[in-house]
Amino acid sequence: MTSRSRIGDVLALTLLSVVMIVLVGPIILLAVFSFNDSSIIALPFQGFTWDWYQRALADPDVRDALRNSVVLAAVVAPLCVVLGTASAWGITRFRFRGRGAWSGLLGAPLIVPWLVIGVSGLMFFAYLRVQLSLLTVGAMHIAVTFPLVTALVASRLVRFERSQEEAAVDLGASQLQLMTRVVLPQLAPALAASLIFAFAWSFNNFEISFFNGGYQQTFPVWVYAVLRRSDNLPIVNAISTLVSALQVAAVYLLWLLIRWIGKKRGSADNLTNLVAGGLR
Amino acid sequence: MSIAADPFTSEAEIVTGPPEPTGRRPRVRGRWLPATYLTVPMLTLVVLFLVPMLILLLISLGMGVGRAHSLWSVDAYTTLLTDPLYRHVAITTVVIATSAMVVQLLVGVPLAYIMAFKAGRFEVPLLLGLVVLDELNPVVRVYAWRMLLGRNGIINGALEALGIIDQPIDALLFNQYAVIVVLSTGWITYTVIPLYAAMKAIDRNLFQAAADLGAGWWTIMRRVLLPLAAPGIFVAVLLVYIPLFTDFAAPTLVGGTSGYMLGQAVNDLILEQGDLASGAALSFVLLVCSGLVAALAFRLARINRLET
Repeated sequence: MTSRSRIGDVLALTLLSVVMIVLVGPIILLAVFSFNDSSIIALPFQGFTWDWYQRALADPDVRDALRNSVVLAAVVAPLCVVLGTASAWGITRFRFRGRGAWSGLLGAPLIVPWLVIGVSGLMFFAYLRVQLSLLTVGAMHIAVTFPLVTALVASRLVRFERSQEEAAVDLGASQLQLMTRVVLPQLAPALAASLIFAFAWSFNNFEISFFNGGYQQTFPVWVYAVLRRSDNLPIVNAISTLVSALQVAAVYLLWLLIRWIGKKRGSADNLTNLVAGGLR
Repeated sequence: MSIAADPFTSEAEIVTGPPEPTGRRPRVRGRWLPATYLTVPMLTLVVLFLVPMLILLLISLGMGVGRAHSLWSVDAYTTLLTDPLYRHVAITTVVIATSAMVVQLLVGVPLAYIMAFKAGRFEVPLLLGLVVLDELNPVVRVYAWRMLLGRNGIINGALEALGIIDQPIDALLFNQYAVIVVLSTGWITYTVIPLYAAMKAIDRNLFQAAADLGAGWWTIMRRVLLPLAAPGIFVAVLLVYIPLFTDFAAPTLVGGTSGYMLGQAVNDLILEQGDLASGAALSFVLLVCSGLVAALAFRLARINRLET
């Protein structure tokens, strides 16, 4: 049994190593070559430079695209958290007519491919003769992103002990008091996670931004356009490395925050439950 | 399995347990309460999701946009369904998407198993790593692969420098294999996390019990782990297989001509050829197909739940 379990360990370790190399390797190399002092991305390494970062940050297209994406995500994410939490509460805590249909509608954007939603948005705005811009992208982002927040928050809500809510109502708390004093504090980790994820979903969204943005490019659309026009551009390496580093930091900080809240309260609200809970 | 046709009901009912005699909990004070929470979200979805889908359908049937007159017909659909070119693209798409899904399950099931039962203190870092990977920009990740696999790319450069090859290998990029690799790595988070979530819910003692009853390793995997992890497999298929069909950044950037997929056809019809009706028709066909895949996954998940 021991020799067998040792073989198992070796196999497990091998699989983990291969998966890590295949998944993380390309990103690491992307970052390494952003410091390469050469306009073509190829071995051998030509020496260290910050040049591509300076050029990337000075490039007006890069600045526009980044600003567009950040503004978009900063507006879309909080709205999605509000809409998503409200709908999660409404759908998990009340029985009313048509509830099944409404929750089906909330689930549908999670299943319909973003390409189809993007194209439908394009047609919708063309039909209404609305000029495509960041506003149209933002509207479509909200429609596809807040149901994801709903799923995340609803999966927490159905696991809550409801005795506290009932006690609050029995003691005469208004809906507003119930929300601000009882429900939202308990939801804090899920809300923090939703905010970060909604920001990332909007920031990273390619298909919908591509079809509904018109001449206003978001960051992924800019990367796509540059890649279609020309081959490897070290500027893309530099700015992508910068953005990726920020994204990694955001997720790490979120994890620390959730752990901190968990410790303070002694609750079992950890990352595993948050991420995996909705799918169980 | 909370993502179901009615993603929020099933679980709510399981968790709340037997219904209270009084019915609603917490007590609802007014009939209007659900409406205060749900009106704005639902209006958003109706206006920005349902109505656009309806317009997509109408345009595919010939409704005019802007100054164009409406010419109602199903020509766009008949062309799509009879043209051998589209049949070819559809077959390529099915082959690529299915291969990528199979690759992800073959890697994802053991990976999720290791994370859930073997990783110990590395469990959370691994999970965090998968989440971080998903937060990275997908287009950037496609670019990273292109940088590796290209003619002047890093793999070719390294092999040449080591003297293994004289000429750069062109076969690394711009083919179906490149698309499969890029798609598999791009979606792996959404494959592994449902599998992991399903496995995490399995009582470890079952493995011990099966072993004590004389079941071998393979039997335990096949008869205990897989049936109990099946709901996770269906969720993974639902979340990943459908978007694989419609991906168009990956095939455009690494697929070349042999990796041309339906998502690109939608893009080319609408933005290159300006043929809104055909583009809308193809999108609508994709919408219907994803609905069918979703229905199938739910059906299988339900049957499975009855059996186990």
